[in-house]
Amino acid sequence: MKRQIPLAIVITLGFLFVIHTFVPHKISQDFYDWFQTWIKAISPFAVFLGVMSLFNVHRTKISRRVPNWQYSVITLIGLFFTAFAGFMWGTQEGTPYMWLFTNVQMPMSATMFSLLAFYIASAAYKAFRARSAEATVLLVAAIIVMLGQVSLGAAITKWIPETSRWILNVPNLAAKRAIMIGVGLGMTATSLKILLGIERTYLG
Amino acid sequence: MEFNHLKTGKLLFLMVFTLLITLSFAAEEDYSNYIVENLQVNDIPNDDGGGLVLSWKPLPKERRIIEYRIYRGVSPDTLFFHGKVDVNVKTGVSGDELFYYDSGYNMFVNLQSPGKLKKEEQQSPESPLFLSYPRDITVSGPRLKNYRILGVIPEKDFYYRNTKVEIEEDDETEVYAGYKLRHFKYLLKKLIADKEYFYTVLAVTESRKFMPHAKIVSGIPRDDSPEAAKEFFPVFVKDKKILKFEWTRAIFTTDHSNHNLYLIHKDDLETFNDFVQEQINLEELSITAKEDSLLEIPEAKYTNPAKLIFTRYSGYPYTANNTVSIPIKDNLIADEENEIEVEIDPTEMTDYRFVFSFADWNGFETFSEVKKAKEIYSADLPKLPAEWKVTDRADDKGDYNTISWGKPSVLLTNTSYLNEEKTKLLVNYDVYTNKNYKTIKNVYFQVYDMHGNMIDEINEFYQDKKIKIKLPHEMNEITFKMWIKANGYSGKDQLFTQKLIYDENSKSMQPGKLYLDNEEVNRFSYSIYKRNYSNEEWRLSKSTMGSQRELFDNIAYELDHFKSVSKFDLEKKLFLVSPTFSIRMDDKLENSIVANLYPSEQKKSIENYQKEIEKYEAQKDTASAEEIAKFDRYIEHYQNQLKIAQENPILKTAAEINGKKARLKYLEKARKIGSRSFEYKIVKSDGKGIFTESEVYQAEKIGNLPFTKKTRNSFAGLGKNHFYPLPNWFQSNKFATLIATLIFGYLVFTMIQKAKKGKDLYIRPIAGISEIDNAIGRATEMGRPILYVPGLSGIGDVATLAGLSLLGRVAKKAAEYDTRILVPVRDYIVLPIAQEIVKEAHYEAGRPDTYDNNSVFFITTSQFAFVAGVNGIMIREKTATNFYMGMFWAEALLMTETGSMTGAIQISGTDAVTQIPFFITTCDYTLIGEELYAASAYLAKEPLQLGTLKAVDYLKFIIIIFVIGGTILSTFHATFLINSFPEK
Repeated sequence: MKRQIPLAIVITLGFLFVIHTFVPHKISQDFYDWFQTWIKAISPFAVFLGVMSLFNVHRTKISRRVPNWQYSVITLIGLFFTAFAGFMWGTQEGTPYMWLFTNVQMPMSATMFSLLAFYIASAAYKAFRARSAEATVLLVAAIIVMLGQVSLGAAITKWIPETSRWILNVPNLAAKRAIMIGVGLGMTATSLKILLGIERTYLG
Repeated sequence: MEFNHLKTGKLLFLMVFTLLITLSFAAEEDYSNYIVENLQVNDIPNDDGGGLVLSWKPLPKERRIIEYRIYRGVSPDTLFFHGKVDVNVKTGVSGDELFYYDSGYNMFVNLQSPGKLKKEEQQSPESPLFLSYPRDITVSGPRLKNYRILGVIPEKDFYYRNTKVEIEEDDETEVYAGYKLRHFKYLLKKLIADKEYFYTVLAVTESRKFMPHAKIVSGIPRDDSPEAAKEFFPVFVKDKKILKFEWTRAIFTTDHSNHNLYLIHKDDLETFNDFVQEQINLEELSITAKEDSLLEIPEAKYTNPAKLIFTRYSGYPYTANNTVSIPIKDNLIADEENEIEVEIDPTEMTDYRFVFSFADWNGFETFSEVKKAKEIYSADLPKLPAEWKVTDRADDKGDYNTISWGKPSVLLTNTSYLNEEKTKLLVNYDVYTNKNYKTIKNVYFQVYDMHGNMIDEINEFYQDKKIKIKLPHEMNEITFKMWIKANGYSGKDQLFTQKLIYDENSKSMQPGKLYLDNEEVNRFSYSIYKRNYSNEEWRLSKSTMGSQRELFDNIAYELDHFKSVSKFDLEKKLFLVSPTFSIRMDDKLENSIVANLYPSEQKKSIENYQKEIEKYEAQKDTASAEEIAKFDRYIEHYQNQLKIAQENPILKTAAEINGKKARLKYLEKARKIGSRSFEYKIVKSDGKGIFTESEVYQAEKIGNLPFTKKTRNSFAGLGKNHFYPLPNWFQSNKFATLIATLIFGYLVFTMIQKAKKGKDLYIRPIAGISEIDNAIGRATEMGRPILYVPGLSGIGDVATLAGLSLLGRVAKKAAEYDTRILVPVRDYIVLPIAQEIVKEAHYEAGRPDTYDNNSVFFITTSQFAFVAGVNGIMIREKTATNFYMGMFWAEALLMTETGSMTGAIQISGTDAVTQIPFFITTCDYTLIGEELYAASAYLAKEPLQLGTLKAVDYLKFIIIIFVIGGTILSTFHATFLINSFPEK
């Protein structure tokens, strides 16, 4: 029963939503909207699962005094203080919660994001090493596309921006669309497997 | 040593913290600089007496203010939070004054209001400031009288969740429908004219410190005359003897009662101007007299010399028609309904002037500029399309009608040069069509130079909205001749011409005016007007430019009832509203057909009408002639109401229904038909009085309507000239999708059957999948854990489901090899599912003892904080194998590059096209797009899974056939195949 009931729910609702895709009737739309409100109502409860998981992982680390356990203390202090600040003073502009968000979380996220530029440079170096004929084609295409994006490319020759546009609009777009068709079919197949109960791994 | 550092750090932190706290307490702030100054309250002109405008001097930027909070009340000792103005703390307010308009309906109470009366934050016990009006009826109930209150009640609650409340009023029992606050979506409030309201404003600083409030000031909203129509265009069509008028609409229309047109003889102009001036003076005096009771208002000296030739109800709250045609017959302008009969000599039109006015419910009237009529002939009027249709829109939930007219049109919209010599031109164009000419086959373009020589010709069989033109040399002007071929229509009778003229400013060729024959297409616009069974006036649906050929008229489902709320029942904690509701107007559009929530009250209304008729009949014996005329009008009104109550088929049928719920359901349905069935007409106008108005559209035959004959008989013209939008059960543009889904389903079943029968299905080997076992083995050999990231998306994403399916297989293998698997999760709904999958995998592998619930854990929902967490795990735990399976965004490269640096073997799979290149560069193996979805089936090697995989391959083959076929056919101008597929 532990597996049969969830499977029955998945199959029933799955088919109902497939029908919804083809039925624009108000009854179908109202059912969808009604279901969405349930999702909105249920999903916040899952936050507690996440918080409990985080708490348990770090509590275990602290209690076992694993290496670097002090970081776990900071994590838990951060978790509880942010939640406390939000509940105590609200989340409006000017509250401690917003101060923490603007002055702690935002700069740290921005730092991580800005690292991406260096990682791209490193990845580009790996990708563009002309070790084979394919890699050489990649290197040449990359140079043309990069030059095509800046005014220097047009200054060298008018063909660079045009070739860059062609590369992006023809072979690149064709490959992208091929992948997208495959992805679409893959998604449909996976959905169908779930609907028919062929794929049950997600049930645990 | 580390511990000592920690101690020192803690000590230093405590010292700095204590110092800062002490300093902040020691510094005594002077808050007098934070009090808002120059707070003023003024009446909003030209409104219905429901608006005041507040103004104050904003505090300087240095004060770091983030918002101004406004409080309002009817006495200075109790002011409730009313609204706020947010301020950008970095820029402050740039002007010298800040304005806040307290007008229209705004929130009074809803479910989010405070439960009880509560003081505003950071206020002393003496402060007059409170949070917004509370839900507590003992507080909000007595305050209903201070405002005009509008209750918004969801439909179901209005009909079925009310309590009948009887109240004794002046020896009569009044019946109300009572509702708990939770049955209202919200209660809205609006200021009452001539009532004094008190206001104050306080500033809130960046640290959310509420500053002392400004001096409390008051204001009184006044009902004053409406604004004048900005432009007014009288036109006389000489040969047809028709007067045509068009005017610009007003911005504030809330209390407009009528739109009036007057005729003035030129000899009366001076008197008219004196009359208007006197009216303005009297209005000012009447407002001053409200504040100074000693002031006497003089009698009016002038009477209006202008003669009313047209009047109609303003149509509020809808946008009314702003055109009217008045025929002159036998030198008379006559309108029996409004008792208008004005003499006019059409041969001496220059002797007449015309003026338009907006009148309000308070008797104020504002006149436009007085104008002479522009004289034209009927040949100057625009021609309406020969054919136009109103139909139900397909593929919707029943909330749109389609109005389509004319034949397709084409319009050049933009150009750009493709070479430096300016001889290659990219021209963008738009095609406007409608459901009658849905499939456009060809758009033909002929390009001519200034001398009329054809320089290029293009046949656009596939309309990608752009064409390339080759010019023999640089040109300053070229002319396009264009026509469209559509299904069943050659298009040669509709020849469009448009010029492209070189513009020195933009250094490009700019499209000129579009002509169809000799008519400038976009000089005229189409306005679609509609009217239902519930309103006497036409309302504007939409105006579109002259090249447009179709319009979808939105007829939203009515979800709420709007009811005035002025009473409450403290004992039962109910807000009271009238139990009556309008079903529709009668066929003559003169009287409303009103129903009652309670059947007994519906019966009583008949008795009440009879009583009223008898009362006024009796009063006539002793009344003056003027009063008798007034009583006659009342008697006529009640007689009409009585007739409706006794004879109207809807009310009669409702009275015959026994069950209360069934009766209300019937009335609800009738009300919906009345309010959602519309008749339509088109007005083609230049916006300056030269317009042509169509007749009301009549369908050739009545379509299928899901109503009984009895119901249809209650609504004359339903389906013929009144169109009710019907919901559809199948989305026809998804027909191709449905066919593809069925083919796919069939292929899946066929392939599964074949696989079950033992047929060897060849599956192309994928390196990334076959290396999974080796990667797990590597981690086992090295004695290090495996990291598995199931993407950053939620459970609703199919990529996450595919990632989780693969997690089960990887976790099982890892459990068999007794290798630790770490699964960091970003989505907290994915977390319990991932935990369950890994746990089950350990059970399946026969190693439940090795499962650690903390090995599948939540990190954070923040994208880059999650990356930081995962990267930390890779470095600290020195994971030997990393899997990234699911949906990824910008964080993908940050994770995989770190994994690459730690020396882990990495296998990734995603359907995110933008991230695939990063995965390919930094990972050892990558599952591209669909391979991610196939991975689970590859590993399972079960007939059911392999059959699905094979079916995908076959469907892909079919799609490739269609892509190639479509390309070849389109190349030879055969577009039927590509047109058979929906665009989206």
